[in-house]
Amino acid sequence: MTVATQRQGGGGGYVERGGSSSSLADVVELILDRGLVIDVFVRVSLVGIEILTIDARIVVASVDTYLRFAEATNRLDLYAKGGKDLPDLVEGMTEGGAKGKTAGVLDAAVDKVDDVLTRKREDREPEEVPRRRPQRRAREREE
Amino acid sequence: MTAVYVYGILGADAQLPEGLTGLGPSEKVSTVVHGDLAAIVSDVPTDRPLGTRDDLIAHEAVVDAAAAATAVLPMRFPAVVEESGVVEELLAPHHDRFVAALQDLAGRSQYTLKGRYEEAAVLGEVLEEHPEIRELQREIHGLPEDATYHQRLRLGELVVSAVEERRDAEAEQLLAALEPHVAGAVTRTPPQPDDVVDAAFLVEHGHAQAFEDAVEQLGERLHGRVRLRLLGPLAPYDFVPGVEE
Repeated sequence: MTVATQRQGGGGGYVERGGSSSSLADVVELILDRGLVIDVFVRVSLVGIEILTIDARIVVASVDTYLRFAEATNRLDLYAKGGKDLPDLVEGMTEGGAKGKTAGVLDAAVDKVDDVLTRKREDREPEEVPRRRPQRRAREREE
Repeated sequence: MTAVYVYGILGADAQLPEGLTGLGPSEKVSTVVHGDLAAIVSDVPTDRPLGTRDDLIAHEAVVDAAAAATAVLPMRFPAVVEESGVVEELLAPHHDRFVAALQDLAGRSQYTLKGRYEEAAVLGEVLEEHPEIRELQREIHGLPEDATYHQRLRLGELVVSAVEERRDAEAEQLLAALEPHVAGAVTRTPPQPDDVVDAAFLVEHGHAQAFEDAVEQLGERLHGRVRLRLLGPLAPYDFVPGVEE
């Protein structure tokens, strides 16, 4: 709603804020997965309107999830061999680029949705694109 | 036979904001009134399939603008119905239930809260607490990936289960901390093991500031371990009446 943007940036900044119009991912999740559904809309084919099927839900095979977490854990192996203090380790890892890796799955789905949808994306949060880019490499490596 | 796109439902006496842009060729948005209800509708593109990015955004923008002004029941995308169906199949059969739902939503907005663990922080905690995971990790260390596939799978499985256990307890605490400020809450099982929380809250407009402050306090407390993201105020997508046969 309208107040969202006015309030953005206020407060102490520990919580990332967004209005409903903050990103395509949020829009897609809200309006495809939530909201009122009435039986009558299932019969849209009756009125001859073609609907693109967009599945915003993401199914991740558990094997992939396990391997992803194993890989992430193994990146923490300093802890096992070095006997380094945990806080040091955590700090080092956060700076060292482990961050953001886990966001890849949802982003992958958004990429997919983007592919389905029209390519026009100039009017909404252009900075979202570069933010997602690095994870693409990570996903390829997993495959 | 004409098709109509339905964005949402509001009270018949509610004012639709000016300047809304529909997803149909006319771009016009209007209402169809029946009893105490009004459906927000427009025409539908017939020369192309529905469901482009612009369609999604148009749907959301219309619902959003209406919800900023009054209580709205947002439809799920895509809601297309035959023109006569708006009253006959949507408004009339569900009239009383929708009226009651709108009354319940008056003066309230939805917030959606999502939280995700900082990967290194949570994995560090898990390793510290579970010697058997440390042991397995040590075993695998330095060996080629192909030779340790099953051990790595097992390692991941143990880590995932430890993270999930941790997040369930954590989510419970988060919800308890926000509970005094909300009129309703819907939680979903987060899609990934390291997603701590995915919850929608219905918040009275008068409590919005207190709620946002409480979320901010949580964010401060969890800083470095969990990243919180708060969306809202939103139309009450998670608080519409359920499907009824």
